[in-house]
Amino acid sequence: MMRKPTERRRFLAAAVNSIHGVIGGTLGVLLGGAVIGPSFLRRRETWLKAGSLDALTEDEPTPVTVRVSKQDGFTQSVERYVVFLVKSGERVTALSSTCTHLGCRVSWDSEAKQLKCPCHGGVYDRTGAVIAGPPPAPLAMITTRVDGDQVFIQA
Amino acid sequence: MESFFDWLDDRTNYRAARRHLLEEPLPPGTGWWFVTGSILLFLLGVQLLTGVVLSMYYVPSSEFAYDSVRFIMTQVTFGRILRGLHFFGASFIVVAAVVHMLRVVIFGSYKRPREVTWITGVLLLLIILGFALSGYLLPWDQRAYWATTVTINIARSTPIVGEQIAGVLRGGDTLGALTLLRWYAAHVFLLPAALIAFTVAHIYLMRRHGISGPLAHVEGKSQPFYPVHALKDTIVIAFVFAALLTLAIAVRAPLDAIADPSDATYVPRPEWYFLSLFQLLKYFPGPLEPVATMVIPGLVVALLFLLPFLDRAAERRPVRRRTVMTVFGGGLLGVAVLTSLGLRDTPRTADVNQWAPLSLAGYEFARDARCRTCHQEGGVANPVDQTISRRDPEWLVAHVRDPQMIAPDLRPVPSGAMTEGQGRAVVAYMRRVRAGVTQPAHSPNQPAVAVYGRYCSTCHTLDGEGATVAPDLSHVGAKHDAKWLREWITDPPSVQFDATMPPFGDRLTEAQMTAIVNYLAARK
Repeated sequence: MMRKPTERRRFLAAAVNSIHGVIGGTLGVLLGGAVIGPSFLRRRETWLKAGSLDALTEDEPTPVTVRVSKQDGFTQSVERYVVFLVKSGERVTALSSTCTHLGCRVSWDSEAKQLKCPCHGGVYDRTGAVIAGPPPAPLAMITTRVDGDQVFIQA
Repeated sequence: MESFFDWLDDRTNYRAARRHLLEEPLPPGTGWWFVTGSILLFLLGVQLLTGVVLSMYYVPSSEFAYDSVRFIMTQVTFGRILRGLHFFGASFIVVAAVVHMLRVVIFGSYKRPREVTWITGVLLLLIILGFALSGYLLPWDQRAYWATTVTINIARSTPIVGEQIAGVLRGGDTLGALTLLRWYAAHVFLLPAALIAFTVAHIYLMRRHGISGPLAHVEGKSQPFYPVHALKDTIVIAFVFAALLTLAIAVRAPLDAIADPSDATYVPRPEWYFLSLFQLLKYFPGPLEPVATMVIPGLVVALLFLLPFLDRAAERRPVRRRTVMTVFGGGLLGVAVLTSLGLRDTPRTADVNQWAPLSLAGYEFARDARCRTCHQEGGVANPVDQTISRRDPEWLVAHVRDPQMIAPDLRPVPSGAMTEGQGRAVVAYMRRVRAGVTQPAHSPNQPAVAVYGRYCSTCHTLDGEGATVAPDLSHVGAKHDAKWLREWITDPPSVQFDATMPPFGDRLTEAQMTAIVNYLAARK
């Protein structure tokens, strides 16, 4: 049976539009995937060797420098962080040395037994809790793991 | 919704524009031959879109270009497919452009009043070749670097102004960072602007004069382009796109080792569509070179531009236009013959994506406990298999031979240095790491490969890698058996009195000797 010209025309137009839709959709998925893909990339977490248990003094934050290699797109950047390792009995915790106020580097005052920020007078105790000054939050805790004599931190 | 489109149409008149585009009247009998232009337009669109997304990740600097392309290939979602579409799409466009041109020549479509349409078409062909040439340099790998060196040297052979042209192409007196930047600028700014301008002009002229239609007059009314002919276009476009996508998924677009200007052993090869020109060069040596680089290509381009003015008769049927058909057929046959000769002459070079013996040996050496003193997770340096080194090869060899040199007295240095051969092997391995090649599986040949890397590679080549001081060992087993090889390696002068190779009988253990002899004897 012959289709009427208008019906045939509509059928052909639908065929043209659908094929173009499939091609456009395929290209859209490929191009869109490449554009938004990196937004969903998660950084690989690694355990870094931070020091040995013997070198730590009980309840005294000890600063250690750790080297973290980061993948920044197609380049690798190396960042160095200072973290405080605090040994309390069997447990070892690690505190970030970055003041939560404006990001200055805090240091351990062994006389006062406090972590002090040189910029605006922020003061923390050895667990990282705020004692005085402007910091809005305690020092960030970093996950640690003790393996034999070695202390590892997660970066 | 309808009222929104009515409003939009009232303000923009877009419905009339769409009608004008889609309802182009086509002569009766317009068949499948007339889909070639649409294919080309579609492929150019794909190049434009993939090019824009690739440019989000690509860095036009000699330091990062290679790593950014490797990043696209290995890390970006669908990155490998996108680069495949862009890379193979270039070849598809060259083929589609030639097919389109052939269609126009066979149908005599360039004749009055379409002379200017034809001229814009020839210009578009040259722009497409310009894209191919400039895009080739961008990955900044060995192929890119050395093929571009040849291109620039061809331009330099121009009489009188050759040096000046080469200087402009290089942006200085050496091929380097400035060359990459200007070729990039041409590839993403100048050429696309020219391409879009001439494509618009070409299509405008096509619409102005209408398409030439079938050779013989067909009775009947003219047909609108949409949807009958549009469906023909669409079906062929769908097949072409399916083929391109399949190729892009199935075949990894090549990425060689990073460009190394000091590597004089690399034999440059152009992409296949320039291979005929490259082959032509071989037949015009020395002072005759400009004949192949300037005169013949210049004559071909001039002939193309002048075609509508040379063949002015109204006759369109190919059987009545023997001269044009013969010249074109002969020209194409010549290009095909030269291309196949060029393909046959392609030399074997080490493929950075394959594990040649030297890099396999380097992989073994780099796993040495001494390297892991510093190169470990959380150590003072990254693990070797994650290190992207931008140092030059000489620095790397020096570092492997004397790790102290990197920062004297600052860190505990492992005792005992590696040999020069081991250093070169580690460099070959690091090149694979930088190319993002998967780490090799365990090979039973590892003991032999380690002996080759440590002792033999400083003089001998194997599968395109290693020094070229002494003979290539890739097929040594075809000439000598294990017994001869053992005698030769143990004490060369006892086999041939004037041998210059030093004896290794006292340097290799029995196990090492057996491993290397059997390995080489098996290489037929």
